[in-house]
Amino acid sequence: MDHQAVTVMVVDDHPIWREGVARDLGDRGLTVVATAPDAEAAVRIATATRPQVVLMDLNLGTGTGLEAIEGILAVLPGTRILVLSASGEHADVLDAVKAGATGYLVKSAGAEELLAAVLRTAEGYPVFTPGLAGLVLGEFRRTAGEPAAPVLTDRETDVLRLVAKGLTARQIGERLVVSHRTVESHVQNTLRKLQLNNRAQLVRYAIEKGLDGE
Amino acid sequence: MTLLPAADMERPLEPLWRGLLVYRVLTLVSSVAVVLYTLDEFASPVGAMVVLAVMTGWTAVTTYGYFGGLPGARDGRGRFAIADLAVTSGVMAATLLVQSPAQIAADDPVMGSIWTPGAVLACALFWGVRGGLAAAAVISGMLLLISATFRTELGDIELILLVGIVIGFASTVLRRSAERLRRAVAAEAAARERERLARAVHDGVLQVLGLLRRRGAELGGDAGELGALAGEQEFALRTLLTTGPAPVDGEGRRDLAAALRVAATSRVVVSTPAHPVELPAHAVDELVGVVGAALANVERHVGPHAPVWVLLECTDEGVEISVRDEGPGIPEGRLDDAADEGRLGVARSMRGRVRDLGGEIVCETGPERGTEWIIRLSR
Repeated sequence: MDHQAVTVMVVDDHPIWREGVARDLGDRGLTVVATAPDAEAAVRIATATRPQVVLMDLNLGTGTGLEAIEGILAVLPGTRILVLSASGEHADVLDAVKAGATGYLVKSAGAEELLAAVLRTAEGYPVFTPGLAGLVLGEFRRTAGEPAAPVLTDRETDVLRLVAKGLTARQIGERLVVSHRTVESHVQNTLRKLQLNNRAQLVRYAIEKGLDGE
Repeated sequence: MTLLPAADMERPLEPLWRGLLVYRVLTLVSSVAVVLYTLDEFASPVGAMVVLAVMTGWTAVTTYGYFGGLPGARDGRGRFAIADLAVTSGVMAATLLVQSPAQIAADDPVMGSIWTPGAVLACALFWGVRGGLAAAAVISGMLLLISATFRTELGDIELILLVGIVIGFASTVLRRSAERLRRAVAAEAAARERERLARAVHDGVLQVLGLLRRRGAELGGDAGELGALAGEQEFALRTLLTTGPAPVDGEGRRDLAAALRVAATSRVVVSTPAHPVELPAHAVDELVGVVGAALANVERHVGPHAPVWVLLECTDEGVEISVRDEGPGIPEGRLDDAADEGRLGVARSMRGRVRDLGGEIVCETGPERGTEWIIRLSR
């Protein structure tokens, strides 16, 4: 993929970090179309500049990254969101992924790792750290007893567990004797199930509360 | 009387001490009135007047003594309460000197009458239920010594014992709950302070450290080393700020997920569910200990920079923890050898601890696969 064709927006409340990341990505050939310091500006600027990938910090000064993700995806559903966040905000990360983010990277990741993650996100692949896989796995286990909760296939569970244990897609493919592309698509499916369930729950909630246009 | 909100916590018994003072003054007035009304019946009206004077004076002294010093000052009310008991007993004993045999035979109220339980209240407030009971016994004993018949005093004695026990219990319980409240408020303040620090630090130091690490890695050489150091500090600081010590709840349970996340470093990746995984505190401590032993083992046998992945899962049966590395693996038979030689090796310490919890631990290892410890514990 041509790096320059990938347009990125960086959302972070801290100017040093924001500009540093933007410059890193620019130096490596990506087109950083915008930066934003808070949720409100992120939605407004994203609507105007239509970036392919939004790098999103979750801990913003005003508003949260979750609000920004929901706002951007409401206007531009095709936007890919990659969460770049401090570790330890596990519940926030899970909420962001349920709201539609397709990847998560900790801020301590190196510049090359970040570039690779942005490119993968632009291509439509999820970026799963072991930490995120653990969160998603835990979420499916937690909701397992609930009616209408999404269920993972045995194969999807196996894949997710191996991701959470730190294996790469290639290593997982070797263990399960499938191609690493198949592994990727299993991961993608688990994410999609989680997000669909989140959307279904929002709709159910809206109907229950009588917000469906009455 | 305006009390600061903190007063309930710092000095929970103050309202009861104030109540005691009010009781003292009201019962003094009543006792004085009764004695004056029947003054001509006394064997020694002058003596009776002297006793009334002593009671009035002592009420004034205890009002000063029981009022309580400044917050934080040493509480000297215990000594006043003992003196109170002595003076009250003296007032009661004076009955034999000032009342006529006819009065005593008719079971007239002893000198002090309902003023006397004040000393029991004071002892109960200061020493709790034991102090209350002891003081009630002293006053009851005095009553029995002076009184003509035991039967007529029985009701009074029951009331005095009741006061000693009830006020004593109230004092003990109030003190204990104030102590709990104080600890809870302190814990909350500490948590708030941590949160405040976390916000401030998040916006400053962490970002700069993170940037330093990134730039250092790009420049390489000495700068790269510097950057790596900055990265380690960034991680340590972030972990410190985002994970407090996992608290134990009222039923003695702790969140295993939070406890394990503390073990995360730049080479140890810890994956857990987002929701709390609550187990008995003892089991959590043991499991964290076992995971710590496995991590130490990786550091010793694979290398100080070897990456390790820890995964905590809630399964249908219970919890499962995996600790995996990509080292050379453990040669077959090596773990059993270590156990046979009687060394406090991995096998003994980890397997023993898990077995004591009623769980199981298995080790999957191979030259191409590294080592993975899997610990399972049923709920």
